Amino acid sequence: MDYAVIGQRVPRVDAREKVTGAAKYAADYSLPDMLWCKVLRSPIVHAKILNIDTSKAERLPGVRAVITAKDFGGWTWGFMATTRDEPPLAMGKVRYLHEAVAGVAAIDEEIAEEATELIKVDYEELPGVFDPEEAMKIGAPVIHDYRPNNVSVEYHWNYGDVEKAFAESYIVREDRFKTGRVTKGYLEPPASLAYYDPSGSITVWPAKQSPYFHYRHLAACFRLPLSKVRVVQPFIGGGFGGTKNDSVAGDFCAVMASKKTGKPVKFVYSQEEELSTSKRRHSMITYSKMGATKDGLLTAVQAKVIAEGGAYTAIGPLSMYLAGSSIPIPYKLENFKYDGYRVFTNNPVCAAMRGHGITHTRFAHDLQMEMIAEELGIDFIEMRLRNAIDNPKPGTVYRTVNDVTLKTCGMKEALTAIKKDPIWAQREHTPKKVGSTSFGVGISGTAYSGGARQLGHQACGAVIRLCEDGTVNLLTGATDCGQGSDTVLCMIAAEELGVKLDDVVIKRVDTAYTPCDPGSYGSRVTLLAGQATQIAAAEVKKQLLEAAAKTWSIKPEDIQIRNSVVSLKSNPDKTMTFENLAKLACYSGSGAVILGKGYSSYGLEPLDFKTGSGNSGTSYSFTAQATRLGVDLETGHTTVTDFLIAHDCGRPLNPIGAETQNEGGAVQGLGQAIYEEFVMERGETQNPTFLDYKMPRSTDVPDIRIIDIITDDPDGPYGAKEASEGSHVSAPPSVISAIHDATGIWFTEQPVTPEKIVKALKDAGKWMK
Amino acid sequence: MLGSYKGDAKPLAGGTDLIPQIKAREMAALRVVVDLKAIPGLDAITYDATKGLSIGATATVTAVERSPLVRQYYPMLANALTTMASPQVRNRATITGNICSAVPSADSAPTLLAMEAILRLQNQKGERLVPITQFFTGPRQTVLANDELITEIRIPVPPPKSCGVYLKLSPRKSMDLAVVGVAAFVVREGETCKDVRIALGAVAPTPIREARAESALLGKKLNDESIAEAAGAASSECRPIDDHRAAREYRCDMVYVLTKRALTQLKEEAL
Amino acid sequence: MKEIRITVNGKPYELSVRPHATLLEVIREDLGLTGTKEGCGVGECGACTVIMNGKSVNACLVLAPEADGKEITTIEGLADGDKLDPIQQAFYEIGGLQCGFCTPGMIMSTKALLADKPEPTDQEIRKGLEGNFCRCTGYTKIFESVREASRKSRG
Repeated sequence: MDYAVIGQRVPRVDAREKVTGAAKYAADYSLPDMLWCKVLRSPIVHAKILNIDTSKAERLPGVRAVITAKDFGGWTWGFMATTRDEPPLAMGKVRYLHEAVAGVAAIDEEIAEEATELIKVDYEELPGVFDPEEAMKIGAPVIHDYRPNNVSVEYHWNYGDVEKAFAESYIVREDRFKTGRVTKGYLEPPASLAYYDPSGSITVWPAKQSPYFHYRHLAACFRLPLSKVRVVQPFIGGGFGGTKNDSVAGDFCAVMASKKTGKPVKFVYSQEEELSTSKRRHSMITYSKMGATKDGLLTAVQAKVIAEGGAYTAIGPLSMYLAGSSIPIPYKLENFKYDGYRVFTNNPVCAAMRGHGITHTRFAHDLQMEMIAEELGIDFIEMRLRNAIDNPKPGTVYRTVNDVTLKTCGMKEALTAIKKDPIWAQREHTPKKVGSTSFGVGISGTAYSGGARQLGHQACGAVIRLCEDGTVNLLTGATDCGQGSDTVLCMIAAEELGVKLDDVVIKRVDTAYTPCDPGSYGSRVTLLAGQATQIAAAEVKKQLLEAAAKTWSIKPEDIQIRNSVVSLKSNPDKTMTFENLAKLACYSGSGAVILGKGYSSYGLEPLDFKTGSGNSGTSYSFTAQATRLGVDLETGHTTVTDFLIAHDCGRPLNPIGAETQNEGGAVQGLGQAIYEEFVMERGETQNPTFLDYKMPRSTDVPDIRIIDIITDDPDGPYGAKEASEGSHVSAPPSVISAIHDATGIWFTEQPVTPEKIVKALKDAGKWMK
Repeated sequence: MLGSYKGDAKPLAGGTDLIPQIKAREMAALRVVVDLKAIPGLDAITYDATKGLSIGATATVTAVERSPLVRQYYPMLANALTTMASPQVRNRATITGNICSAVPSADSAPTLLAMEAILRLQNQKGERLVPITQFFTGPRQTVLANDELITEIRIPVPPPKSCGVYLKLSPRKSMDLAVVGVAAFVVREGETCKDVRIALGAVAPTPIREARAESALLGKKLNDESIAEAAGAASSECRPIDDHRAAREYRCDMVYVLTKRALTQLKEEAL
Repeated sequence: MKEIRITVNGKPYELSVRPHATLLEVIREDLGLTGTKEGCGVGECGACTVIMNGKSVNACLVLAPEADGKEITTIEGLADGDKLDPIQQAFYEIGGLQCGFCTPGMIMSTKALLADKPEPTDQEIRKGLEGNFCRCTGYTKIFESVREASRKSRG
């Protein structure tokens, strides 16, 4: 493919601002007369709120407003109309430790903090429950009255005939797997600057990766029309799903305080507040039964998933949907049964995070396939190759039993690339044991959904505005939270128009001016906002080609534009600059405004939460990952030396961006696999600091190589599929497979810490022998 | 000056422990912070062939770690200090601050114990010399009075034919507190150990010297057998807690592993 | 309030500060230089790294009065007008960044590292940046950027 811009290695369009410190994030904004907001949090895990006395706080000099739940008039929000159980501040009851109970706005941070300590709250403590399987039992404390059995979300899906398939299988295994309590770990804590204009409009500069969610929350909460809510996007210091796709107590308190005082109000959470209270990934237990033939072909999978939901529902219904619906990819499966339970506990709320939902069951099933392969004596890559879905021929579609459709699938190609690489092919020739360290190589083959299309408002638009000097503005509602979408959208616009990348300037999201976009989640931006951008650019190009055609007295289809040069296809020497064409078009007659608009055409098949059928995304990425590591058999420490990631993202449009996403996603997945876990003690997070919530540092990461698997998917701009989350899902099973290779032990619970390894070695009589 | 504020004042050197405590509002009564860095000469690092090493109270961890004197005569200390935190923290933190914090896992403590450092404590009334082995009294507790400062850390000249090593065990390779820290220091006479010092961090209420492990090696040859015996003694004697960082059983097991490794490394070094 | 005199990016300032204010707060709030970030406030992430009298430090762990009489360089002090410092240029070209929040601190630590070790080995790069946390990139392109910065700085 001979693209001028797509596929080029280019610096990010915002790299200059970032390396000079000019990029402003939410906490960097201030306005004159600004107040600071701090949140008071409950010291008790589960309790009725009997009374809140704010009088002393209100009297502290420098305090301008104190906010409690009653200010919000009973408003709550949630992912679905039936799950609106979350209030801006605890209403009548607190359900997790440090849940926000009140907010204070004062002339400086210290006074605001001091004032929170003067608010007197009377609680009546209630018994708490902290384990989802305990919470499901009869007699467990009820966390939400509308779910008396504490089951927040429940699905029961059944495809084919698992019982018959198991009965006919050569081998059937039943195993239990568990993913841990982990969080996004972004460096920038939630923050926002809010201004409620007395005329009845809101402007906020918040750290959000999906500003339009927040836009709708504010409109609903403050009973304003959307047209009067303005979210202006600062640079965002990392998103990864969950909290920055949602609104937090500080957001609502800051806006309410601004409404009450007429002044701008800013809040910035501390990192400790973030780590101990913000939304985390669900921790899920998968009880999995898997059957196979003697040749290792999968016959059936039955998965009972019990997920810890924490104290509110949030996006839980989707998390549980994704955990089940992707069970039949990337390996062919005719029979599967899924029983998913998301259970309330008195712990911080569990919501979305990179690799949403799919990561839990993919981990379980990838590992279980290897366990079966081991019993059958089949090589682990061979096992996957035998079961992997083939890349559909162009024009055809692979359809799973639950109507997940694939037009491209590079799973086999990715596995084959790993198989040929020395890291796998030469593994018998690399040292197996050096001193007390045993080396191992592991493999995974996973799938992830991209171009999310779900319930609610999923549409997105883009506008291209041609300036008279031939430069271009791109306006979309899509947010770059670090994943690089601003750059790739500019590349798409530039490629489509035929201009140089430098001539396209993207305007950051401002809901007053940019068209709506659901946000940066579900790996949808390159695909859907990219498609909208491409369409908008095509519309501008059409108008320009018509202007050129008139001038040269030819047909528009005879003209091409590339690298900002307009020329005749049949005679490349007949040219004019793009700038001149722009002037020509804009100044024709008494002037013309050249605009293009485009909308993504998202799928028409809705998801069916009840049966589990349908596409959660536009297309799916496929990742094969090899991991080489050494396990110190005496201390249990794992040192990962190499990752090799073969990733089918259709076509990497922005290669530097796609590589970095793969590298970062895999390292974040490594963190989950062996280092990270919130240690909870009756609802209290014991380790809410960067010191003790162990995310990988520069000295912990392996050398990483990426192999691109090109499949050119027809549903993505220039063949693209997602490149944000695939390697985050492939990393944990790959690492844990490698640990098995090094130790001979199957670890089924993440994180696989040194302590767990030493304990298992001891139990197997293998420690210090 | 500290005396006149009676506990409402704290000395400040690097601030890497104190400032987070102030921010966490753990020091409600604190009114004054006395910046010791203003005192000239308090950061000096000197070496004398008879008196040994003198580290001034405000000498930063980086300065000590990089000091050619320390690297030449006390390489064990230099290496131990590189395991602490980050370059940014080491550029400000002091060893004095590290031992005054008296957290059981303090990374400089096992080495100082193994090298039998002596601390000079001063106040308005005078001064006293306290061996580091008597300095720690409990988690975050020392013999230092409210009006006293450590002004100097002295480490005796290492005896001839001596060598030592500090091994730190933690989940990641950087930015972690030690889950177990072992410092071993051996003085040889011929084939046998004339003096053995084994110090442990993070496995007791304070950093400790491991007497039973030491006596298992005194007067003996350093070989696999005697090393295993010493490691076993150290492991059975340590009294760590169960906390979110590690369980008791694991810490005791790791005391065995690290003690064995440290002594084995010293055995190989001497060959 | 305490009066302090500090030089930041070559400019002298006379400021009146609360005694317990940190250098980070002074840089961001009093001087409006928001390039230096607060990630954790307790010296565990390196987002607030600045260079003070030639040494990299966490500005969140320096009390403002301690900075009296010192020379401080922040990320805003590296570029020479439009011309980027070689380290900034390297990060820009290689793409050693994503969200950019860790980037100022990472670049300042790189500056300190290369001043100390102009041609660092891979191990020295990793160890030199151990105080700077990044969640987005997995560090791979950060290491490449440092190597490129080293090449550019040596000409």
